Amino acid sequence: MAIKLNVNGREVEADVAPDTPLLWVLRDHLGLTGTKYGCGGGYCGACTVHLGGAAVRSCQLPVSGVASSAIDTIESLAERHPELVDTWVQNNVAQCGYCQAGQLMSAAALLDGNASPTDADIDAAMSGNICRCGTYVRIRASIHAAAERRAEGGSA
Amino acid sequence: MNAITNLSPNLSRRGFLGISGVFVLGACVPGCAPTPQAKLATGTLTPNLFLTLTPDGTVRVLSHRSEMGQGIRTALAQIVADELDADWSRVQVDQADGDRKYGDQNTDGSRSILLNYDRLRSAGATARLMLRQAAANHWQVPLAEVAAQNHEVIHAKSDRRLGYGDLAGEAALLPVPEQAPLKESAEHRYIGNKAVHVDAADIAHGKGTFGADLTLPNMATAVVVRCPWLGGGVKNIANQPTDVPGLIGIEVLDPSPSAGPVFAPLGGAAVIAEDTYTAMRVARDLQIEWTESANHAFDSGVLSASLRQALEQPGTPVPNSEKGDVDAAFAAGGTELSATYETPFLAHAPMEPPVAVANVTAEGCTVNAPLQDPQSARGLIASWLGYAAEEGEKVTVTPTLLGGAFGRKSKPDFALEAVELSKRLKRPVRVQWLREDDIRHDYFHAASAQRHRAIISDRGHPAAWLQRTAFPSITTVFAAAANAPAEWELEMGFSNLPYAVENQRMESAGIRPGVRVGWLRSVCNIFHAFSANVFADEMAAAAGRDAIEHRLEILPAGGKLTVPGMQPPEGHELDVDRLRHVIERVRALSEWDRPRAEGVGLGFAVHHSFRSYVATVLEASVAEGRPKVANAYVVLDCGTYVNADTCVAQMEGAVVFGLSLALHGNIGMKEGAVVQSNFHDYPMLRMSEAPATTVELVPAQGRLPAGVGEPGVPPVAPALVNALYAATGARYRALPIKV
Ligand code: FES
Ligand code: FES
Repeated sequence: MAIKLNVNGREVEADVAPDTPLLWVLRDHLGLTGTKYGCGGGYCGACTVHLGGAAVRSCQLPVSGVASSAIDTIESLAERHPELVDTWVQNNVAQCGYCQAGQLMSAAALLDGNASPTDADIDAAMSGNICRCGTYVRIRASIHAAAERRAEGGSA
Repeated sequence: MNAITNLSPNLSRRGFLGISGVFVLGACVPGCAPTPQAKLATGTLTPNLFLTLTPDGTVRVLSHRSEMGQGIRTALAQIVADELDADWSRVQVDQADGDRKYGDQNTDGSRSILLNYDRLRSAGATARLMLRQAAANHWQVPLAEVAAQNHEVIHAKSDRRLGYGDLAGEAALLPVPEQAPLKESAEHRYIGNKAVHVDAADIAHGKGTFGADLTLPNMATAVVVRCPWLGGGVKNIANQPTDVPGLIGIEVLDPSPSAGPVFAPLGGAAVIAEDTYTAMRVARDLQIEWTESANHAFDSGVLSASLRQALEQPGTPVPNSEKGDVDAAFAAGGTELSATYETPFLAHAPMEPPVAVANVTAEGCTVNAPLQDPQSARGLIASWLGYAAEEGEKVTVTPTLLGGAFGRKSKPDFALEAVELSKRLKRPVRVQWLREDDIRHDYFHAASAQRHRAIISDRGHPAAWLQRTAFPSITTVFAAAANAPAEWELEMGFSNLPYAVENQRMESAGIRPGVRVGWLRSVCNIFHAFSANVFADEMAAAAGRDAIEHRLEILPAGGKLTVPGMQPPEGHELDVDRLRHVIERVRALSEWDRPRAEGVGLGFAVHHSFRSYVATVLEASVAEGRPKVANAYVVLDCGTYVNADTCVAQMEGAVVFGLSLALHGNIGMKEGAVVQSNFHDYPMLRMSEAPATTVELVPAQGRLPAGVGEPGVPPVAPALVNALYAATGARYRALPIKV
């Protein structure tokens, strides 16, 4: 069944069964492999994307339920959050990197709703994202740093 | 003479090119013909396996080790670039296929820098020497007068300079020198400093290629349903679906015998589809009847009871481990302390579950997969396909980025599944393990038990110390008859226990498990460091002593330690002074003597593994019935290190990894089947539980490089147990900790 989607600002179409989770539509049918499979059960956050601006677990979202909401993935994140992505790079946040698309998408959604999150805000927003490599302290520091850079209004 | 000096002695090569863009034509005044020796040959310099310099000045470093987050692709490039005096911004990293010509490629055991530091330094230094020689020849000046500096060779006397890219072709014509001078460590500018990982930008833009990210034309995806117990195979599939759109078919894979051929697939029913989700959905609904195997009766609880029982009897002594007379010392009496410690099976659970892409054709086989050892995988794949020894080059194995591994991906069983299915289907096949497959069908970190018994003085010093360990050995995967722990497993924190004890003996016992076991980040060090560090803490507590003060007292005074059992490589003998130093440093770093709030405790542990020394202090309390770790302090002495920032990151990660296993990690088996299946029942530490972490690196001081990826893990769990004891007075001797 052909389903129309709005992904990273573009209209795209995928021919999939309606119960197919958005994760697999992105990965297998649209070639957007930046979004990762980690558990398929909503536990790990590796598959996090933005749906209408909110962080969602794409492995838990049947594509039929997406309707016309805007979907944004890691592939377009740097356009909207250059400070965040750059801070991540400069701080060597990623180790293996497999969880990091999900981490970044959760972090971006947090910053979209909260320009200067506290540690407690970060705990609340980021605890759905597992990092087996254990990059949490750098994620925390980099969210704070990116928030500051954004507040200063540039990539200083 | 050459065109540049003839025309304009003061014009630098770079400036000149900047004006003309084309060297030969632009260099000549009208009517001038370039003489042959005046022209620098254009070409690519490849003085060895690891380095290529192209005419545009790009340095390509070949990483023959696999990247799994430990930053090895960056570190290897830093080493080469430093000795080459390259401009870091012009260095790129390529990934090597598995090939014997590179030497050891088994990215495992925290050895990549240890094994490759010298040879990669000389790879860079050789190229630097050749570039200098090429420039000296070109300018007709003595070699000693030209220096390499940041991608250029400079002749200061005449103020001339040539870029590396321009010199590459000329240098390539020179014989490769057998020896090239290495820099003094004070001259290093990349080695020992931070570099942003070469893959960091790709990863942050969603562009890094992991195992599942590669798509080949006409590729199918398979999800394999495996027998819950080891050794069982498909007897019958009750519901063979046929009319599912996208479903290609179901292939039955035979189970391999429980031990050998090494790393053979487990067998099962492979559901093959055009896309992952179709394969997953069909696999989920398959009703399969399995054949029996003896492992169907396996129960991890029974195994743990057997391990505890084994500790009650004398085990196999570690050769030469007996010092003094332990039995006489116990018979003579005194304050006796004894305790039993237990740790469970663990699953690796790398964030990226096993996945592999294989394409078997009449010509050969290519595999792209997150593999820790592409070279051994290549050999196993060749023999799996029945290739003769001389046909080995028909197999190409290229590692992708590894989405975590921790030892899991040194076992290429998942790649062999893809190879077998591609061979049968005659098209490229990706095998995707689901998280449930990963948790249930791992090569599990072995469950274990230790018993420590000591006679202690009123200062808590051990006059006699008997230690026993029991666990299923990793060698059980390799040989059907194997049972006893191997000496290399005992060398991981058991036979090299560093304390000064007059009467001492070390004994071990093994058992055959009904599951596959395998090495997981820091391996047997996990349980040996756990039990020894907690027991030492118990000695101190029994005598009412400060744990760090006590520990420093029970260590030998200093110097290199002679240990029984397996011996360390030359130059890597356990150095008590270094052990003492990391303890002293972590005492300062954690402000150990500063009183903490009521209910908050500090716990300390120290361990030598993978030739490195790590001391850890955790600050913990119990809040709302759960352990809470607020701060972690880690001091690492890994000798000479390459990327300082990576070393810090590995310690940060090790704290999280260690806390995951200390607080949550528990895999159990009933009726042969693993009870857990996903992150809801095999939880990982999360952001809200992650402590603030402070790491200190001991300066390199010209020492041999040692391990970084693993040695941060062993001290974490015992430091937590000791901190909780300090906070609450309760002693937890089994992992995971249940308060
Ligand atoms: S893959 Fe979606 S939450 Fe884990
Ligand atoms: S960086 Fe490896 S799982 Fe997070």
